[in-house]
Amino acid sequence: MTLEMLLGASVFAATLRLAAPIALAALGGTVTERSGVTYIALEGSMLVGCFFGVVAADRSHNVWIGLAVALLAGVLLAGLHAYASIALRADQIVSGMALNILALGLTTYLDYQMYGTTGTPADLPTLPDVQLGLLKGVPYLGDAIGSQNLMVWTMGGLVVLLQLFLFRTVLGLRLRAVGEHPRAAETVGIDVRRIRYAAVLASGALAALGGAYLSLGVAHSFTDGMTGGRGFIGLAAMIFGRWTPVGALAASLIFGYGNALSTSLQGASIGDVKVPVQLLGTLPYILTILAVAGFVGRSRPPAADGLPYETEGHA
Amino acid sequence: MTGLSVAPPAQMVEMRGIVKRFGDFTALHGVDLVVAEHEIHALLGENGAGKSTLMNILYGLYRPDSGTIRLKGQDAAIHSPRDAIARGIGMIHQHFMLIPPLTVAENVVLGDERSGPVLSQRALATRVRELEERFHIGVDPDAKVEDLPLGLQQRVEILKVLYRGSELLIFDEPTAVLTPQEVDELFAIVRTLRDEGKVVIFITHKLREVFAVTDRITVLRAGRNAGELVTTATSPSEIARLMVGRELRQVQARTPVTSSGAVLEIHGLEARSDRGARALQGIDLTVNAGEILGVAGVGGNGQSELAECVLGLREPTAGSITIGGADIAHDDPKRTRERGVAYVPEDRRAEGLVLAFTVADNFILGKQDHPPFSERGVLDDAAIRVNGDRLAKEFDVRPPNARAIVGNLSGGNQQKVVLGRELSEQPKLIVVSQPTRGLDIGSTEYVWERLLEQRARGCAVLLVSSELDEIRALSDRIAVMFEGRIVATLPAADATEERLGLLMAGHAEVAPA
Amino acid sequence: MNQEQAATTGPGTASPAPSVRQLTFQWAAGPAIPVLSVVIALLLGAIFVQLSGKDAIAAYSALVQGAFGTPYDITETLVSAIPLVLTGLAVAVAFRTGLFNIGAQGQLLVGALAAGWAGAQFATWPGIILMPVVILFGIAGGAFYGGIVGFLKAVRGVNEVITTIMLNYTIVFVMHWLLQAGPMTAQNALGTPASTPIGAGARLPVIIPNELVLFSRLHAGIILAAVAVVLFWFLLWRTPLGYQLRAVGLGPRAAAQAGIDPARHMVLVMAIAGGFAGLGGMIEVSGVFGRVYDGFSSSYGFDAIAVALLGKNSPLGIVFAALLFGAFVHGGAYMQSHAGISSNLVAIIQAFVLFVIAAETLVRALTRRRRGARKPVEAIA
Repeated sequence: MTLEMLLGASVFAATLRLAAPIALAALGGTVTERSGVTYIALEGSMLVGCFFGVVAADRSHNVWIGLAVALLAGVLLAGLHAYASIALRADQIVSGMALNILALGLTTYLDYQMYGTTGTPADLPTLPDVQLGLLKGVPYLGDAIGSQNLMVWTMGGLVVLLQLFLFRTVLGLRLRAVGEHPRAAETVGIDVRRIRYAAVLASGALAALGGAYLSLGVAHSFTDGMTGGRGFIGLAAMIFGRWTPVGALAASLIFGYGNALSTSLQGASIGDVKVPVQLLGTLPYILTILAVAGFVGRSRPPAADGLPYETEGHA
Repeated sequence: MTGLSVAPPAQMVEMRGIVKRFGDFTALHGVDLVVAEHEIHALLGENGAGKSTLMNILYGLYRPDSGTIRLKGQDAAIHSPRDAIARGIGMIHQHFMLIPPLTVAENVVLGDERSGPVLSQRALATRVRELEERFHIGVDPDAKVEDLPLGLQQRVEILKVLYRGSELLIFDEPTAVLTPQEVDELFAIVRTLRDEGKVVIFITHKLREVFAVTDRITVLRAGRNAGELVTTATSPSEIARLMVGRELRQVQARTPVTSSGAVLEIHGLEARSDRGARALQGIDLTVNAGEILGVAGVGGNGQSELAECVLGLREPTAGSITIGGADIAHDDPKRTRERGVAYVPEDRRAEGLVLAFTVADNFILGKQDHPPFSERGVLDDAAIRVNGDRLAKEFDVRPPNARAIVGNLSGGNQQKVVLGRELSEQPKLIVVSQPTRGLDIGSTEYVWERLLEQRARGCAVLLVSSELDEIRALSDRIAVMFEGRIVATLPAADATEERLGLLMAGHAEVAPA
Repeated sequence: MNQEQAATTGPGTASPAPSVRQLTFQWAAGPAIPVLSVVIALLLGAIFVQLSGKDAIAAYSALVQGAFGTPYDITETLVSAIPLVLTGLAVAVAFRTGLFNIGAQGQLLVGALAAGWAGAQFATWPGIILMPVVILFGIAGGAFYGGIVGFLKAVRGVNEVITTIMLNYTIVFVMHWLLQAGPMTAQNALGTPASTPIGAGARLPVIIPNELVLFSRLHAGIILAAVAVVLFWFLLWRTPLGYQLRAVGLGPRAAAQAGIDPARHMVLVMAIAGGFAGLGGMIEVSGVFGRVYDGFSSSYGFDAIAVALLGKNSPLGIVFAALLFGAFVHGGAYMQSHAGISSNLVAIIQAFVLFVIAAETLVRALTRRRRGARKPVEAIA
């Protein structure tokens, strides 16, 4: 095992690339849970974004249309959840599970119907990388961030935007109030339902963005179930990141790093012992359990998170 | 001097003939309330008198079934808190409507931020400070509400209301969670508010507050007006009499106490409430075998916490609780019950019963794991059924069907199931809390009879109740609780309604010379 | 995800979130609602199939044909249903105590790993000793994994939804390591990562012989599953422990004041739940595969939630629901190969079933409120 394997520029680049979809899902989770709705179908929104982005890009030969359709798909799935959770006050976990299963079943079904055994076409339009010409030749940085995908930079921008939004704007304040104490928010005239709907839909869009990045930006194709649990890692990142956008990014980077290591340390050994790279995959989950159990600082979700809300019946 | 309806020329609020029903229960039977401008007005009464209901109507949370409301001489229809706020009415609730992780300033302006899309913490803090200076209310605008003690949190509630330009402020039992210093500071704020032209209504049951800071008083009793008084022209005794005076049921004749020693002894008991306030501040009391000690007091003065500590459902912060000499203060409910303690909790539906279980199953709750109800790890259905039938008959559960689901029974019958379970094992001590709340007369008398029966049997009974009728009908001795302390313990014969009313309202007794 | 509302962290956070309680305990009217949910879901599925340009009738008849058409198909449906019964029990027993056990999947895998290890380690032992040992290992492995969840909840107040999801994923990766590079790696003909085969004494025999049904794989695990169902029923309704578990689920505060400690029971029930799921894992290894293949069980855990909810957390209901889903699994494969309709239609129908169940709680909540217009007691003063 060498230092290059641990901290090399290519590892850094891989970290960013792997962290981006997780971070986008985590951002989505953060927004919705801050408003008090638990959306565990981030994985599902991601997957439909993945698939329908590819389909649209294929049919229209335009990656931006593909991206737009991906967002729409993610929003629609989240919309089902929003309706069930907010209007029907259904159990949010069961609804989320149902939607995850629906997303997987639906995309696999349609993939089979539309692309059969041949798979998605090889000439899909793709999301472009951003080449930072200035950094060409710069040691380390040049390789690390010189040609990251547009989505990676978008993710970074969204982190900043959402952090400012949640903590520095009026709407963000109201959203947080709704997630902590919806009754109190209602008594000062805030429309709890409307804010929650918006938050859930936004999270669907964010997760779908992450999914579109996976299919249109990285793999340039779609394979069944290709999100592979990243939506759930995103959930873990949200929890580990204490329900803030910046925290979500930090957690995603840590998890992405672990993921990158499992590739770069492939076959490496410390002395005689082979590094158990498969166990690196457990990192996000174990860290999250430690965090919620309070062993890694205090991790407290928004107080009204996951609880169905009854609007105060007025006389 | 009898109370006069003095109507000063400028009336802020005029509520006339307010009637409010909930199902077939009438909370207000045509109540009047007149509050003048530049006044601090007390709305006084016991639990169940109707004070909160009346104010909830004024604040738009409920609609009256009949009656009129006029504000500043104009008819006013208030359909929601938003209407009320728009008309300048603000309410400081007993349970604060604050967002703990947000700052004071954020909480004050939430919903009416008057800022562009971007928030400036500094601008908010400045605005809040201006408000604070005007009304002499001090609290750090940048502090997080969850870091503040309850007294300061209350100030945030007040600021919220002032920020929205309220002219009438309704305080609902404001001193329930305050320390004595905080109470004085609150009074100072309230006086400043009046001097700045605001009108204040205080909902309270505490005489000290009434005499410290109010100008006029309206007393309610059982949903009706009991008197309107000018503070300076009345006395604690008069008010106490108005608050509790009623035709008391005939106190039943009963055998004199043949007490044979203390069963329950509590010394210096201290405990905190769920909200972190000091609920018990040094309780001393003793209950002897064969006697009923009634703990009287308006709800919320620590009675629930007291019962929970005895049972082991709440951990005391100091003091001792002994039964027959053994300290049970830190025992869990299972251990405590093994010592012969029975418990009839105040919320029978959530705490006393498993509503989805049958009557027979509820009868064995807590006893399911030993003979005769289970043998070697298996439940004995026959024994459970037999027991269920027997107890249902013995405790007059109607209909006497042990297979019925308890959730479908009436309140009275549900309470009989609780009694059947708790009283059938010859307990040494019974802790019983609000046993007849929500029950009809027949069920109430039944419950009383069973408790007296246990007393005659030599059991010690700790009865907690906010119903004075009940306390006086059953107790041999009465201890009055106020703000987490026992303010007096007296033999039932000495407990006149006036005396009890004064004690319950926090009026300390003058020791005989 | 939220910690329960009554208290934030710490022991004694017993009250289950109201919606979970509504999910499990408010269905009074027998099988009407579950049946209705399935019917609605099937209808929605049919609409979907038509919209996607295929024939719904062809799809459904292929599904039924595939599941029950020949005796072989029936045995295969049963083989698919068996693990679902056990994971369904794992979810249901936890629901009865007010806990949401999403971790049946992980608990099943741990049980499978434990049983697979023991079966290979003691491969030479005679069946009469080895079989019980392997069963025990399977149960113990799952119980341990479930117990962790209960422990964290009881002692640190951690929401079991979070821990179970996290632990599900954790064991997947641990399994990758164990079977690819770790101590349980072994060679096998297929070249996929798998463990050493278990000894013959640990294999559950096929109980319907080839003479009766060609290629039958129906193994003695069906007996174990039946026993488990009976045990589930017996535990919950015939033992004091079961009474206590139900009391904690239906009336946590009443149970607490009666001396039934919610925290202790949470740990117990999660261990029991894990035990059921672990047994399911053991059955798959012993009855079907003969060894532990990496990634052998993809979705039994999540199907289990639907099975438990559809079966209303009761023994017979779970059996029927498991059979239904087993039919879906096996019939779906047939539908794909013979009618050209992706077997994932089954997953879509399943999702609809869950969704309808989730929305069902509202109906229940509404009817409950209308029935009891209680007068507010504390609110007025």
